Amino acid sequence: MISRELINYSLRNIKQRKTRSAFTIISILVGITTIFIFVSFGMGLFNYIEEMSSASSANKVLIQPKGFGGGMDGAFAFSEDEVRVVESTSGVYSATGVYLKNAEIEKSGVKKYVSILGYDPKKPLMSDVFTLNVYTGRELQPGDRGVVLGYNYLLPNKIFSKPYELNDNIILNGRKVKVIGFYASVGNAPDDSQIYVTNDFMEELYSNSSLSYNWIIAKVDTKNIDRVVKDIEKNLRKERGQDQGKEDFFVQSFDDMIESYSTALDIVIWFIVLIALISVFVSAINTANTMITSVLERVKEIGVMKSIGAKDSEIFAIFLFESSFLGFIAGVLGVIFGVALSFLGGKIIESVGYGFLQPAFPAWLFIACIVFATLTGAISGALPSRSASKVNPVDALRYE
Amino acid sequence: MKKEIDSDKAFIRLNNVAKYYEMGESVVKAVDGVSIDIKRGDFVAVMGPSGSGKSTAMNLVGSLDMPTKGHIFLDGEDISSLNESELAQVRGKNIGFIFQQFNLIPTLTVFENVVLPMALQGVPQYEREEKAEKILRRLDLLDRREHYPNQISGGQQQRVAIARALANDPEVILADEPTGNLDTKTGLKVMDFLTELNKEGRTIVFVTHSPELAKKYAHTIYWLKDGKIERVTKERKK
Repeated sequence: MISRELINYSLRNIKQRKTRSAFTIISILVGITTIFIFVSFGMGLFNYIEEMSSASSANKVLIQPKGFGGGMDGAFAFSEDEVRVVESTSGVYSATGVYLKNAEIEKSGVKKYVSILGYDPKKPLMSDVFTLNVYTGRELQPGDRGVVLGYNYLLPNKIFSKPYELNDNIILNGRKVKVIGFYASVGNAPDDSQIYVTNDFMEELYSNSSLSYNWIIAKVDTKNIDRVVKDIEKNLRKERGQDQGKEDFFVQSFDDMIESYSTALDIVIWFIVLIALISVFVSAINTANTMITSVLERVKEIGVMKSIGAKDSEIFAIFLFESSFLGFIAGVLGVIFGVALSFLGGKIIESVGYGFLQPAFPAWLFIACIVFATLTGAISGALPSRSASKVNPVDALRYE
Repeated sequence: MKKEIDSDKAFIRLNNVAKYYEMGESVVKAVDGVSIDIKRGDFVAVMGPSGSGKSTAMNLVGSLDMPTKGHIFLDGEDISSLNESELAQVRGKNIGFIFQQFNLIPTLTVFENVVLPMALQGVPQYEREEKAEKILRRLDLLDRREHYPNQISGGQQQRVAIARALANDPEVILADEPTGNLDTKTGLKVMDFLTELNKEGRTIVFVTHSPELAKKYAHTIYWLKDGKIERVTKERKK
């Protein structure tokens, strides 16, 4: 056990070498802060995904074109018959086609292009999948010839400088359309900037062009979801006359989506944490270096301590305590900076429209970061502390 | 631990002790076959020119160094076979060191310097603080208790070193040129204080190169030359 006096002696030495101690702390702190920030955002994202997977979207299957563009290039289409094919697959409760187009909107002479999404309000699978909740106004109903807007339309300087209000008219493809509702923020800019209309109204808006579905959303039996996904694939392949493996579409359950999303996320987060670990490793070497210098500077003091009865183990404890304490302080400060920066980062990300990407602050993260930093200090101090404890008192007393 | 059977008289006994250092190819015989018997309560001076081995002998007596050959007995116990941790215990409990350079811990206050040896021996908090205060009062240093070593004079520093040496109430005080860094007047005061400690029954061993000092204060003088004892003289004291 290290006594109060020895702790006091260690702390005085840290204080005595203020600048060096500060640099050592900073070098560990940078790595710890980085780890904290990325794990905190990673945890936030995992929580979000968890929420999504437990939400009403879990029993939905999304059928989309392969490749980029989400089927908005016009070359890809699902027909009403194909929606029926999906719906008649065993294990599918209902299915609906979703239109996705680009739309031109105009306000005070300024034109913008946004995406417009048309769905069947009788089958509100769409709002389930994207966890859309009405913020103000109401949902679309069959026969509606108005629009429900994403959350960003309510904010100034987002879509246009002036926001829209309920019952305003929006100029959509050159035509005045009434705003009947707003969805609450989903937390990502593309979805929050979307315009939603009924399928019928979409067909009316795009009556000049050939309109077909870009996505099919189906509500399925979750117990046999893998089989259902395969069956949908098979039936749709047959309907579209495509060979296995050559489909131009893919069927994805939400579980799949979440899984692939989390895997990608895992890789990114651990990659960044790995880089942060390298920085911690470098700081550990720096700490070891500081401790070696500290031992060399105090060789004579070590000799004196030994002459007045300090055991090797006590000398070891003094130096180990010093390096661990530096690590501990770096851990505490690293966590404080980590919280501050994550919080700030979360606010910035939210302000640019990605509110779903928010940091989480679980208690274990605080403890783990502080423990890890302390251990980093302890491990890097172990070798110098050992060499300090092995100093020969006679040589040490002669040392100048 | 080996017990020396016929060590009743000798409190500290060096039995044919040698300390050799390897310096490259050659071997330096710092102490070469020295036998010393120091009785309890003796006041001993170790004299000799530079390089005579007096400091090495002192370090061996103080268990700071291990002999290459021979045995060292402290109060009948062979300390030359102890491990590092046991030696530290022996030093902490039985021996108080005073150095020429004072060797106080610069980051600790006067009071903390005196408390430290007791902390290392596990003396309870209350007891060690009370005792440190008592010793500092005796050495007229109580008003300097919160000062750091660099804030007090050399003479005061040496008094703090004496206070520290007394912390664990050791039977032996080993002083390596204790007056070497002090002016004559302050040096004599330090020696007077060592005399006082000797009168209390403590065994004092000091290294000096000043024959006057040795003759004035010591009861027994060991004259070293080239690592060997040249002669031993006894001084009659009043």
